[in-house]
Amino acid sequence: MPFFQGFRRYLWATLPWVPVGIFFTEHGYSLATVNGRSMQPSLNPDSNQLRKDVVVFNRWKIANFQYNIGDVVSYRRPDEPNKIVIKRIVALEGDVVRTRKPYPDRQIRVPAGHCWVEGDEMFHSTDSNHYGPVPLGLLQRKAEYIIYPFNRIGRIPDKPRTSRVQYAPGHKVYNRLDDIQE
Amino acid sequence: MASYFRSAALVLQVACTVQLVNQYGFEVTWCFGPSMLPTLNMTGDIVIFERLTQRFSKLQTGDLVVATSPEDPSKYVCKRVIGLAGDKVCIDPVSMHRQYITVPPGHYWLTGDNLSNSLDSRQYGPVSGGLILGRVFARLWPNPKWLDNGLEEIVEFG
Repeated sequence: MPFFQGFRRYLWATLPWVPVGIFFTEHGYSLATVNGRSMQPSLNPDSNQLRKDVVVFNRWKIANFQYNIGDVVSYRRPDEPNKIVIKRIVALEGDVVRTRKPYPDRQIRVPAGHCWVEGDEMFHSTDSNHYGPVPLGLLQRKAEYIIYPFNRIGRIPDKPRTSRVQYAPGHKVYNRLDDIQE
Repeated sequence: MASYFRSAALVLQVACTVQLVNQYGFEVTWCFGPSMLPTLNMTGDIVIFERLTQRFSKLQTGDLVVATSPEDPSKYVCKRVIGLAGDKVCIDPVSMHRQYITVPPGHYWLTGDNLSNSLDSRQYGPVSGGLILGRVFARLWPNPKWLDNGLEEIVEFG
């Protein structure tokens, strides 16, 4: 049975590389499709018709706390931790945001360790205006490039800063610690 | 030359496999601080936590968990689950005027065992389930021991 023996050898040669591949997607770059219209027109614009955007995500940047205002990030929804959603960071801690409708308060200072995220399409987005500031620990990945549809290949478009936010003079820079404090 | 390459590849494969187990299964870690005092030492304990309960089942009241701090994403905390989503919990049982809060959906109420010296949900409010990394189930050092759910039912008479 030379075929099966060959197959088995092939399997034993490739199997140990599977964790290496998973490591790369979990800590480096990964691909994902984007559902929904909350990030229009940056992602999934109407010109897509029924195609969904495929986006390159970078985990490494988020794990090292390298994010900034204007970045498009994916995070676990605070009120539904099983859902991962994609929005744009509008404000970081210390900034004062004038909120939009469903949020109970007129304006809010983003608390320590949190950020304010909003979708680019304000009418079809469930974002911080619904569930408040998002803990930075929930951020998963930074969306960097669109690779499909091919006519829109390239960086994710920037969006100018809104006038609804009063930015603090500087934002706290975090560094990775490894011990757990009780 | 080929043998160097092969041993480097082996090291990479083993490291990534260990990382995979850490990420989806079990992780050994070092905890220190005064907030879990009767359960864990102040000077530090090596504990082991698992991520399977979060993924396949549900955390229960009384479970010991490791979570990312909502106030500082670079810090992790080790606390006990006091309330699940929908539960009505007392914000601070130590204070004179007790206030109650209903834990919002997807969140947990976490406090330390040493209420007088702990920075927990009383300070930063309910913690989202997405911040919880896993459930601590054993202490490896010092004196190895299973750390199970510490919840006891109190029966009141009269």
